Parts: sequence; structure tokens; C-alpha cells
Amino acid sequence: MALAMMEIGETREIKSFHGKEEVKRRLQDLGFVKGEYVQVIGENPSGLILLVKGVRIALNRGLASQIIVA
Amino acid sequence: MSYTIALAGNPNCGKTTLFNELTGSRQRVGNWPGVTVDKKEGICKKDKELHITDLPGTYSLSPYSAEEIIARDYLVKEKPDAVIDIVDGTSIERNLYLTLQILETGVPTVIALNMMDEVEARGDEIKAEKLSRILDVPVVPITARSGKGIGELLAQAAETARGKKTPQKLLVFDEKLQRVIDEVEKELESSGESDSAWKAVKLLENDENIAAGISEELKNRIRKIIGKAYGSNEDPEAIIADQRYRYIAKVVKDTVKKSAAGHIETKSDKLDKILTNRILALPVFACIMYLLFACTNSENFLFLGIPSPGIWLAGLVESVWGGLTGVIEGLLGNASPWVYSLVIDGIMAGLGSILGFIPLVLVLYLLISFLEDCGYMARIAFVLDRIFRRFGLSGRSFIPLLQGFGCSVPAVMATRTLESEKDRKITAILAGFMPCGAKLPIFALFVSTLFADSNQTLVTYSVYIFSIVTAILVSLLLNKFVYKDGASNFIMELPQYRVPTLKSVFIHGWEKVKGFAVKAGTVIFVSTVLIWFLSGFNLDSFNGKNAAENEDGSIMCEMNDSFMASVGNVIAPVFKPLGFGEWRPAVGVVTGWIAKENVVVTFAQLYEEDVTEEYLEEYFSRFTSEELEELGFEGGAYDSEAAGDIYSESVLFEGGDENALPHMKDDIKTKAAAYAYMVFNLLCMPCFAAVGAMKRELKTWKETGKAVGIQMATAYAAALLVNVVGGLFL
Repeated sequence: MALAMMEIGETREIKSFHGKEEVKRRLQDLGFVKGEYVQVIGENPSGLILLVKGVRIALNRGLASQIIVA
Repeated sequence: MSYTIALAGNPNCGKTTLFNELTGSRQRVGNWPGVTVDKKEGICKKDKELHITDLPGTYSLSPYSAEEIIARDYLVKEKPDAVIDIVDGTSIERNLYLTLQILETGVPTVIALNMMDEVEARGDEIKAEKLSRILDVPVVPITARSGKGIGELLAQAAETARGKKTPQKLLVFDEKLQRVIDEVEKELESSGESDSAWKAVKLLENDENIAAGISEELKNRIRKIIGKAYGSNEDPEAIIADQRYRYIAKVVKDTVKKSAAGHIETKSDKLDKILTNRILALPVFACIMYLLFACTNSENFLFLGIPSPGIWLAGLVESVWGGLTGVIEGLLGNASPWVYSLVIDGIMAGLGSILGFIPLVLVLYLLISFLEDCGYMARIAFVLDRIFRRFGLSGRSFIPLLQGFGCSVPAVMATRTLESEKDRKITAILAGFMPCGAKLPIFALFVSTLFADSNQTLVTYSVYIFSIVTAILVSLLLNKFVYKDGASNFIMELPQYRVPTLKSVFIHGWEKVKGFAVKAGTVIFVSTVLIWFLSGFNLDSFNGKNAAENEDGSIMCEMNDSFMASVGNVIAPVFKPLGFGEWRPAVGVVTGWIAKENVVVTFAQLYEEDVTEEYLEEYFSRFTSEELEELGFEGGAYDSEAAGDIYSESVLFEGGDENALPHMKDDIKTKAAAYAYMVFNLLCMPCFAAVGAMKRELKTWKETGKAVGIQMATAYAAALLVNVVGGLFL
């Protein structure tokens, strides 16, 4: 499923990313790699606040729906 | 012998704090990701042999943002004697990703394990010695904010720099990947490429910058090597990232002891529950913005009946400047008329006009710096992203636009932190639409003289709203017709909330005001002298005619006959449809391009005939002596010699009354035309200093010209609309 569908408090494993190459690199640099766990710790109309490798990262929903988690 | 030491690390890792601690220089410290956009240099306080360079904060050394390119070019091409890699101990796993890439460059490295106070407060433990053994570089635990551990760090860095100890290659990658890297490295080496080991990894990472630097033939050979090892459905780049993180996970497992498994809720999480809450976030944001502007320019601060800090400071500066002008006037008693005029009417009056609102800009920027340093600004960017996205921008554009309320120069510079080129270009254009401090006197003068019978506060506010609405419309249009790149994404680290130190807020705020102060010292200084010259001289000044005609033998002329008047007469017809096609308002627009505050100064000079001695005496007669002293009259007594200057500098700048400059109404006859004039000055090309900043950010004159053209077209269209439509109602 897409990361954008996750509920607050949920933790899931990143499977893949479907989007532009440069965005993939930026995500990779911030710790979004296959096999990594992400937790949703907040959300608001702008998007989600995630916890990846102990760091809070804010993502807009459009981007969050390109990240596939399991 | 001197050694260069570079500071590298993730954004928000405390790098700039460490830099300030080491060099003691005035540097900004930010909690806004990407605050250090250029590398900065300083000499170490304690060891003068060490030259420290602060590199921009980056998450990796890939070449996809301006910051990353600056950082990696410095490390690879300029080869510092050592690099201090600052690792935020509270997010060590993510931070070590950059560390591995720094180690790959082969530059002698020391790791500074920062934020150790927070790590300890959480009850976690990081085994620095073990980490040092695994990575084969010195690791020094520090707390940059308090200065703890910095002495030891410096000693290690100096030793590493002097010893030029290159780090040992780590076994990060698996056998297959390492074999491919080695093969590529050999290929590069045999072709005489420098830094072949580093370039080999980068080429596998699909690095376009490095690929562009080698020959087509070599590229083909390398492509073959990679193609042989990895099929078309495999992505070596992702494999490299994955293996780096795997390696880091192993290292972290061996060296970090966490007090609790999983994530424990921190203070930052609790604060975020309110500040980024889906319902509360915007109301809280609105309150904070209200406070921000109340502190800056409110005459009645929080309804307490006292002026806000910004206004209070502005008054103080003005009275000091008035005193200084008086002293200089006394000293110039015997100077020739034109020297007196240059110093008093040109330089002192010109600079004095800027000093009046520098305090407002300063207070605004100190508050903005506070919001950045404490971590809230990143949340604002996120919360506003949804709204800004509708207008075709990113939430990150908010910061430059907010700074635009102070001064366009730092505002345009701040667009550098935006990731997408489209956002950068559009935001740089919109920043010029904001009612910067220098435009406020224009509104004050026009509202008080030409809108005397209207609700003046409402008219002033409407100008602010006009600027914001225009910015939104222009952004939408630009997205649709000019910069059609599609929506950009929002990815941003939300740093932990930290109470910033007073020192860092001041350093950070000063850094922003500095750009403005430098502008005041150079561009505005030169331009005031230029305007003074153009408006006081004509051709007859130099063929002796003026000297013969003037009673005192001065070669200067009346402004009506000056060079400036000639310029105004030529361009005035262009403004006819906007309602102000006369030479004096036209000159005002032109001098506004040099610096916006010039508009009011120019008006005061151009309508000088209105300001007769009798008029002034009558005008000031209604004030008590206390009020007169406050306005700048020494001892509170009316002084006909000082009256003219005080009138143009104090009264007009803050809004006089409807009788100020009565002849202005002959040139700008209707309210619609007056509003059009304000709108035109609000939106048209910003001052030259800001255009210079735009050129730096947009890179080429062509792009800059395009941006300025868009601003001019917007200003003309908006002013035309106001004059025509407004003319029907007002």
C-alpha cells in the first residue's frame, strides 16, 4: 500500500518508490531506503510527519503516495 | 604554516554553532535547513594556524543541489588538510550516511559527535572509542552549544591536519559491488584521472557531474563494466545506498546503546501536536504573525498605549541622527553652498531617511531569526505548504516572502534555500511585490495627504492586502504560462525544537541585516549623491550661466530646471494612462528604483515651492514645545532654518497631514490615481540593490531581465486597473 494511507502511530517497511529519479535520491539521502521502517507521527492538511532513522521528516501527500510500504 | 579545516555535516547538526565557537566570528546559526548557503571562512581563535571553512549543510555529496555541489567541490577539488564531520548524536544513523561519503573522498577526517548533552539526557550511550576504531578516524564527543569537548576536538583536528592522515578504506560494500568499483577505478586510473577511487563510486551512483568530466570513450568502457555486473533491472545506485545504510546499521548496533527500544515521545513531539495540528496550526500561526508585526511596526503595541520595540528604536535613531546633522551643519558654516548642500541635503538627508526604518527591519529580522533558530519556521513552511501549493508555490517560499516585508535584498537571497528552480524563480519575483520597509514612507505620505477624508488605517492595510493578492495571482499566472514545471514536492526535516541562545539569534539576525546595511552604505549612499546631483544641476551649471544668475554665485539650479526634470518630462507620458503622467511623480518612480525610500525624499524636494517659510511656521505653530522637541527642534523652540529638513524627514516620512505638499494634488488629481501610484511603486522593479541580488540568484542577466520585466508588467497592469476601475467609483 502507499505510505499516504498509513494511520498515525503505524509503522511499516518501505518497499519501493515510484517517482522521479532526483526525488528518489533526495529521499534516499534522508534515509528512505528499501527495508527501512517508517512511522507516521503526525498529519495535517499539508501532509504527513514521519519518523525515519530517528529523524522527523515532513512530506506532502502527493509524494507520500508514491512511496510503497508493506 | 597554516592548515585549512573544513566543517561538514547535515543541516541542523550544529555545524554553524561549532564554527562560531571555534572562530568567534560573526556567523549565522540556523535551525532552518540549508541556512549556510555559501561556504564561510574564519581563523581559529585558539590556534591561529587553523583556517576554518564552514561548508553548507548537506545530507549527501550527490550533485543535486547548490549546497551539495559547493560542499563536495570543496572537499574534492580544494582538498582541505582535514575535515571535521559533525554528526548529530541524536540521529546518528542518518548522519553517518554523509560521513561514509566524506570518508570516500580520502580527506583526513575527524568526527565530532555533537549534541551529547541531549544524547545523555535521553539516557542513551554512544561508545566513541569503539566508533573511532571501526571507522579508523578520531571521534570526539562534544556539545557545541556549551563548548564542551571543543578543546579536545581542536587538538585532534590540528593533529590530523598536520599528520595528513588519510582515512583507511572501509569495507562498506559487498564483494561483488566492491569488485566492480575496483574495476572502474582501475579504468579511471589508467586514463590518468585523479581521485579515481572516489569517482568510481560516484560513476556507479550515476553522477552526471563526474560523467560529464570524462571522455566519451572512457564512459563507454565503464558502462560496459557496470552493465556486465548488473542487469538492466538492477540499479547500482540504489544498491550502493542500501549497502551504506546496512553498514551503518551494523556500526550503530555495535556502538550505540539506547535506553529504550523504539521512539519515545519527546518535547518536540508534544509541541508538534499543537503547532502542526490539523485544526490549531493555522490559528497559532496567525497569532504568532500578529505578534511579529506588532513588535515591529505598531504605534500602539498590543493596545498598551506604548510604541512597539521597532517604532521606539526608530524614534531613538532619528533623534540621534537629527542631533548629528545639527552638529555637522554647525561645522559647515563657512563651506561653499554646494558643499553644504551635498552634505546636508544629499548625504545626511538621504542616509537619515533609511535610518528611520532600519530599526524596523532589524527588529523584524531578529524575530524571524528566533523563529528559524527555535525550529518553528520549518513547521510553518510545512503547515503552509498546502495553501501555497494551491498557488503553485511551496511552503518554503513563505520565509523569503516574509523577509520581503523587511527588505527585498535578504528576501531574494533567501530564495536560495528553495529546492526547485521554478519555486526559486517565482519567489524571487514575488519578493519584490512585498511592502518592504522602504516602501512604507510612500504609503504614509500618500495616505495622509491624498486620503485625508478616508479611513486611513484601512487604506494602508488595503495596500498590504493588494500586495499579497497580486503575489498570489501572479504566481498562478506564472505557473500556468511561464514556468510550467509542475508541482514540486515538499520534503523537509523538522528539526527538534531548541531554545536558541541569545547570541545565535543576534548573529543570525545581524547576518540578514548586514546585507541591508551594506546596501545602505554603498548603493544608497552613491544614489543619494547621484540624485542630489541630477536634481540640483543642469547644463547651465557648467557654462557659468547659473553662477551669473544666482545671487550667491552658486552653480546649482532649481529642481524644475534640473537634469532630473528633463528625465521626468521624457518618461512622464508613459504614466498618463495610470493617472500620474506628470514629470514630478515620474521622477519619483525613477528615484525609487535606486532606492524606494527616495520616492518620498524626491517628493519633498520636488514640491519644495509648497514648503515656504510661512507655510512651515503655520504648520509647526500648532505643536507644543514638547512635541516640537520630539520632532527634532533643539530645545523645543521653533527654528526656521531647521524647519524645512524636519518637515521633509520627520513629518512627511511618517505621514504629515492633508495640507502637506498641496501642489501634489495638481499632479495626482484623483484618489484612484494616488492609489495607482502607490500600487505602481509597490509592485514595479525593486531597488537596484535587490535587482543585483536577483541577478546573483537567477544567475543570468537574461533571467533577471525576464523577472524584472514581469514585475514591471504586473505593476503597470495593476496600476492601470486601479486608475481606470477606481476612477469609476472614487
